[in-house]
Amino acid sequence: MHEFSICEGLVRAVRQEMKKHGAPAGSLRRARVVVGALHQIVPENLEFAYEVLVRDTEAAGSRIELRVVPITAKCGACGWTGTVTPPVFLCGACNSGDLELTTGKELYLDNLEIEQDDG
Amino acid sequence: MTAKNIKVYRDLMGANATWAAKTRRLLEGERVAMVNLIGSPGSGKTTLLEKSARHLKKTRFAVLEGDVETTRDAERIQKLKVPVSQLLTGGACHLEAKLVHYALKDLPLDRLDLVVVENVGNMVCPAEFDIGEDAKVAVLSVAEGEDKPLKYPLLFRESKAVVLTKLDLLPHLDFDLKACLEYIRQINSAAPVFPVSAKTGEGLKEWAGWVLQLK
Repeated sequence: MHEFSICEGLVRAVRQEMKKHGAPAGSLRRARVVVGALHQIVPENLEFAYEVLVRDTEAAGSRIELRVVPITAKCGACGWTGTVTPPVFLCGACNSGDLELTTGKELYLDNLEIEQDDG
Repeated sequence: MTAKNIKVYRDLMGANATWAAKTRRLLEGERVAMVNLIGSPGSGKTTLLEKSARHLKKTRFAVLEGDVETTRDAERIQKLKVPVSQLLTGGACHLEAKLVHYALKDLPLDRLDLVVVENVGNMVCPAEFDIGEDAKVAVLSVAEGEDKPLKYPLLFRESKAVVLTKLDLLPHLDFDLKACLEYIRQINSAAPVFPVSAKTGEGLKEWAGWVLQLK
């Protein structure tokens, strides 16, 4: 359940950003988060943690939206680039294990969707 | 009512990464290496430490024991006359960089070459958290089954070495050593694997030799 530790940082970031952008309490609809597939994050656990941790804050009522980034790599032996599917971290062309991961480790709050008055 | 999107880009591991970087600077300044042992409860992490101590005599080392409850592991290490600090997470399933940083500050770092951290018994969460170590090491006992690397790939991917413990039990198990080594190679071809037995002493010297070269 490391999702709770991670989510604490997320909710802190969400609240700070709301304040910074002058978003009033209750105006946040969605917090969009980007997660690299290398992280062992269970979306349901993160959603649950988020729901619990935003309760009684100005972000209450908002939802978390996850976008998962696949793991991609570059082969140090033959130069191949492509997607890697755990638990096998081998080059798709020459089978070498000399891979440098180019994506898949991301974990960040990407953007906030805020409701605003048109007037 | 309409909605507007505000681009923010905030790294969610940022706070942990900041503490881990602080720890790296601290340890570099004191010329101390740090190893982070990660494995399931009962994989033999504490016993590995107890039995490796003899082979680490050439170096001045201390141990940080991470547990959810009790100081039992720290008491075991204390018997070796090695400086030890017990970190109790009180329920948390892993150690985070800030807690480790403060624990390190309580150790006599100017008189040490090496700190070995025994993380909370868990193959999932500790793999996610950088604590400022030089190397994560996966500890897997042969009693757990050869397919564990496939089930917990992040740990084996993030580790710089793998220790296979309880090798003396092999004759009593259906553990497929060859398959296990192949799974580890598929996940992390650069990581050396040290098969050891704390009972017979097999492999401990080689494992300790690898730790010593981290300095």
